[in-house]
Amino acid sequence: MEEARSDVVIGVMMTIFGFIGLWLASGALDVEMSIFGLSLAGFACLFILGLVRRHFDRAEALRVAVEAPHE
Amino acid sequence: MQFRHEFLEKNAILLLVASLLTVAVGGLVEIVPQFFIENTIEPVKGVRPYTPLELAGRNIYIREGCYLCHSQQIRALRDEVERYGHYSLAAESMYDHPFQWGSKRIGPDLARVGGKYSNDWHFAHLRHPQAVVPESIMPRYAFLEETPLDYARIAADLRTDRAVGVPYTKEDIANATADIEAQTNADANHDALLKRYPKAVIVPSNGRTISEMDALVAYLQVLGTMVNFADTSEEQLRR
Amino acid sequence: MSEALAAPRAAVVYNDDVVKKFIIASMFWAVVAFLVGVFIAAELSWPALNFWPPYLNFGRIRPVHTSAAIFAFGGSALLGTSFHVVQRTCRARLFGGEALANFIFWGYQFFIVMAALSYVLGFSKSREYSEPEWHIIIWLVIVWVAYLVAFTGTLIKREEPHIYVANWFYLSFIITVAMLVIVNNLAIPVSVFAAKSYSAFSGAQDALVQWWYGHNAVGFFLTAGFLGMMYYFIPKAANRPIYSYRLSIVHFWSLIFIYIWAGPHHLHWTSLPDWTQTVGMAFSIMLWMPSWGGMINGLMTLSGAWDKLRTDPGLRFSVTAVGFYGMSTFEGPVMSVRTVNALSHYTDWGIGHVHSGSLGWVAFVTFGAIYYLVPNLWQRNGLYSNRLAAWHFWIATLGIVLYITAMWVAGIMEGLMWRAYDAQGFLQYSFIDSINAVHPLFIVRWLGGVFFLLGALIMVYNLVMTVRSPRTAPGRAERFAAPLAAAAGE
Repeated sequence: MEEARSDVVIGVMMTIFGFIGLWLASGALDVEMSIFGLSLAGFACLFILGLVRRHFDRAEALRVAVEAPHE
Repeated sequence: MQFRHEFLEKNAILLLVASLLTVAVGGLVEIVPQFFIENTIEPVKGVRPYTPLELAGRNIYIREGCYLCHSQQIRALRDEVERYGHYSLAAESMYDHPFQWGSKRIGPDLARVGGKYSNDWHFAHLRHPQAVVPESIMPRYAFLEETPLDYARIAADLRTDRAVGVPYTKEDIANATADIEAQTNADANHDALLKRYPKAVIVPSNGRTISEMDALVAYLQVLGTMVNFADTSEEQLRR
Repeated sequence: MSEALAAPRAAVVYNDDVVKKFIIASMFWAVVAFLVGVFIAAELSWPALNFWPPYLNFGRIRPVHTSAAIFAFGGSALLGTSFHVVQRTCRARLFGGEALANFIFWGYQFFIVMAALSYVLGFSKSREYSEPEWHIIIWLVIVWVAYLVAFTGTLIKREEPHIYVANWFYLSFIITVAMLVIVNNLAIPVSVFAAKSYSAFSGAQDALVQWWYGHNAVGFFLTAGFLGMMYYFIPKAANRPIYSYRLSIVHFWSLIFIYIWAGPHHLHWTSLPDWTQTVGMAFSIMLWMPSWGGMINGLMTLSGAWDKLRTDPGLRFSVTAVGFYGMSTFEGPVMSVRTVNALSHYTDWGIGHVHSGSLGWVAFVTFGAIYYLVPNLWQRNGLYSNRLAAWHFWIATLGIVLYITAMWVAGIMEGLMWRAYDAQGFLQYSFIDSINAVHPLFIVRWLGGVFFLLGALIMVYNLVMTVRSPRTAPGRAERFAAPLAAAAGE
């Protein structure tokens, strides 16, 4: 299914970006790079949490639709 | 027309490629020759890379967005030449990565501001522009004087500039920090500095920590002064 | 168009969620951009407002204004409407699923916030309209490629035989902006762990690359993209087909071909080689034709439906926008003539020109699209208040008129004062005289900005109340539920 595949691809991408962010922040030579790196890592975490949430939301919507299709 | 165009309208990738090719033409024709036609930049005697202190000052100029109000490009128009000095030559910004020509004058052009005013004038003006020019609308930059110049890694800046084409030598890079200290110390021996960077203006910090304002003033004082127009022939000036 | 035909065939569930998010972001950033604009205009009138150095100094805040206006407000509007348009005109759900759409939305917002923050902290490449340092640009390119994938993917999986004209404009906007951003930002960072970078080009070449980018940020971001918006929302709101299909084709190809050449007109009389300046000028003048072709195509679409201007506040914005587009695309070629440019360059005339385009064309065509979209997407019968929308229209129009007339007068005055000679043959005015002379006009400009901001606040209130009003358009909700049930049955 398209949604699941897209979740995985984007999720993997975001994981990589999150680690890149941490790596940039860890070696940062100026304040901008540490802010950017940490923000990128934080952004990646929140985004992945969002992916998980939407996955369960979709499953829930499907379950409701199956149980009460003629509401 | 309708018939032929239909072909593009039914193929997304073809449409994408066709429009990319269409937009690429203009840029290729205008930009690429600039790098190959020899007279784009006529070499002129005197133009040299910035001293480490000037380069640090230039980075502060960029950081504070000075280019948004001050141009550094005197156009070849009578009134501009009379107001600001000789029109700008391409060679004068050949080591400017990036260029600072600007697009708007909310303040005057600075292409040849170097040497027009004393160091003290610049310090007073940057601290509180309205104290010097009462009607000025320039923001105050007093904080630059209180901010110590961070030049521990200035050699890396020179090295990066060299990577994009500025001819800093190994010696220039090795002496980068020393040159900053020499250029801000009135009592130091300036021979090596001035041999590497002729016409560099000494901005004495008088024993206090070297500030960002020292660097900025050193940069402002070199603007437009590198070329000696007295011994530059007409032929050299004509592009 | 396709939407009307959608009912009898199998229903497609569009991804409206991402469109809604972009619309909300666009409105939010509009207010931010206008607010910052009003603030920096006030700084130029009353310099004491630079009270929190260095963070609130004009030089650091001005890029926040331009980026917020172009990329945050304009960009969010473009991405949102393009997703709306491409799904409906292709009758296909957005390619890449929810995750890709959300990545594009949040990734783009992340870019905006990081860019604005970096300017205030003092990290800028000093390339106008492209100030973010290398690491933020790389992030933008990643998001932009994702955008290209989602958009092109949707075009490829379309159920309609033809790609609708609005999509040609959106597609060329996406691909050209990618090209421009990548080339203009070629630079070497001091270290991978440092934000500072040095441009790959220098001096005259750097200037040309930057203005090739800068002018086409206008040409493709602020024109081609928004023309895509015009080509969908005006026919939609007027309920008429595009005036001429043939003119659309000519408009599209000539516009994108010619626009790219016009950049050097930003560098007249400078140390850029003369031949480049002349080529730039010639193409800038030629550009007048496709621009007006597009304007005619937009305006004539209303023939037979002009009465809708009285009743549809959104359409009123769109049509006025096309009028402003015509005006500023005439002004542009005039200013690109070297003789005129000798006077106009470096003055506030340029600022006035940019704002007649950005407020009159870009913002107004966006407002038109949003007034159409919000009731549509949130399934309301109409706006909360058409009267408030009318108030917005007139206040904003008044603001633009104040702004651009003040800048015309100020710009021409500056240009004339800088070149004025007295009887003895000396320059008559010092530079600061020109600053004094334009002071009252700077205040009028600030007032114009305040009016425009006020209008935007009225719009935001109107839209919030529209969304909060009870749902009055059933039917679409049921259509939305059906495929879910179908999917469950499989």
